Amino acid sequence: MNSTFAEISADTPRSAAAPAARPPGTVLLTLLRRELWEHRYLWVGPLCVAILLALCAVIGQVHLDLRDLSQLASEGSKVALLTIVQWALSATFSVLALFIVSNYALDCLYAERKDRSILFWKSLPVSDGLTVGAKLLMALVVVPLGVFAISMLASLVFFAIVSVRTAVGSIPSIMTWNTLEWLRTELAMLLILLLALLWYAPLVAYLMVVSAWARRRPFLLSTLPWVLAPILERIAFGTHYLWSFLRYRSNGIFATLAAGHTHIFSRHHGLRPVGTLLEDLDFRGAFSDIDLWLGLAAAAALVYAATRIRRYRDDT
Amino acid sequence: MTAVIEARDLTKSYGATRALDGVSFSVEPGRIVGLIGPNGAGKTTALKAILGLTPFGGELRVLGLDPRTQRDELMRDVCFMADVAVLPRWLRVSQALAFCEGVHPRFDRSIAQAFLRKTDIHLASRVRQLSKGMVTQLHLALIMAIDARLLVLDEPTLGLDLLYRRKFYDTLVNDYFDKERTILLTTHQVEEVENLFTDVIFINRGRVALASAVEDLGGRYQQLTLSAEAAPRGRALQPFYERELFGRVAMFFEGRSAAELGALGELRTPSIADLFVAKMQGTANT
Repeated sequence: MNSTFAEISADTPRSAAAPAARPPGTVLLTLLRRELWEHRYLWVGPLCVAILLALCAVIGQVHLDLRDLSQLASEGSKVALLTIVQWALSATFSVLALFIVSNYALDCLYAERKDRSILFWKSLPVSDGLTVGAKLLMALVVVPLGVFAISMLASLVFFAIVSVRTAVGSIPSIMTWNTLEWLRTELAMLLILLLALLWYAPLVAYLMVVSAWARRRPFLLSTLPWVLAPILERIAFGTHYLWSFLRYRSNGIFATLAAGHTHIFSRHHGLRPVGTLLEDLDFRGAFSDIDLWLGLAAAAALVYAATRIRRYRDDT
Repeated sequence: MTAVIEARDLTKSYGATRALDGVSFSVEPGRIVGLIGPNGAGKTTALKAILGLTPFGGELRVLGLDPRTQRDELMRDVCFMADVAVLPRWLRVSQALAFCEGVHPRFDRSIAQAFLRKTDIHLASRVRQLSKGMVTQLHLALIMAIDARLLVLDEPTLGLDLLYRRKFYDTLVNDYFDKERTILLTTHQVEEVENLFTDVIFINRGRVALASAVEDLGGRYQQLTLSAEAAPRGRALQPFYERELFGRVAMFFEGRSAAELGALGELRTPSIADLFVAKMQGTANT
């Protein structure tokens, strides 16, 4: 009897009170924080651009070079110009986000192997699936939506500064603030962003696979095949299927989106606010595009592959 | 009590080289086991198999779990530290604490902080600003704060000066180790830590050359030092290794009785370092 009791107590883990695992939410949040510590350009870059744009608003000058100034006489045209400038500001952030996200996706699983810190990360009870998942979440959700939020704020600050300068006569009055149109334009941009994220998810997943797999030069490894293969196909078979595929995967969904008439400027209507794109663009058609969802299935398979590669990639 | 590690017939090849060629051993709880072998003997590969970092053949249970399929569960009870350079250089000390606290259910931040207070390491410092010795101290602080059952150390003090090395092992034995914990350690500096070990496993060319509790070594291995004239009589008893030292000959025997050898010269239990050299050289000659 005594011995049985002793055996049981000896075999009981000493920290029976300690939880078996931290809550998944806490772990995920910690993993995301790690990404922001490690890849500081993810948030430093967008903030720098936001500050630069605000500076532009403060010191920038307006040069009007329109043949027909009457175009800007109407209040509607002034609102339209506001949304076009708003669009241009957002485009700056979109290009930045494109560079940041693709650079990050290509680096996020490579960097930790290059500096051998993967041995430290793997010494802690975090699964490869959760680690890769956190990195994917960072690339496809946190960074794009974070940059979008920053771009919204930057847009507000930009127009606030412009309004003040217009009011004191520092620049001519060419734009009129219109909260509804501003919101409509932001919504249109958000929807396009969501569509782009879904469309480019397989690309991000592909870059992560290369990142998990490459022993060196992940950039070359990820791009070179896609440059060489279409050329070889052209030489060998005289066809250009790969080239067409690449072109389709790079902008195909936007052709679907813009299937309707989408002229912001027309002879009959003059300038129209960008927010009207909400009605013109075929979001329903684009979001239900079968190729979009097939791409997502491919992305899921690629993310699974990246997880498996990280599990056993042994080059430390 | 069940073994902490139970390895049977582990195999692993890198191309044509067999890093593990049928390795079997077991590690009991509450032991400090030295995994000792020359460069490229398969030590690190064996550790990687135990930690589920690499695929391998054979049967392996660590804390009753299979590292191939139950790695995530296993890592809650296992800590490991490869040589010093694995903490990322961009990491701040405070971030290291926050990260471990965020992901490890058995990490106690206050223990790590108490340990760090005894060092010159500041919470705001980045790893790249710390000396090699300090990085090891930081890693040790993290490990001390984790209530693990098995600690695996792969050359933890490589490239550190003597003071840091001594401090490292003192802390490990005095403040960390107890009857419920097991430490598996590889090192090149065998002489320095041989008093630490309760068990040794010699591994050479992917095979286990010797696995024994240190207290049993005396009964199995003898080192006989005798004069050059007496050497032929010693050789007749078939030592597995001998070497000359200042005109005298040291011979190493396995399984001979003290009565047999004692008459020939000076008899003692070989040190682990000497036994290691004898075993490695001896097998290389045969």
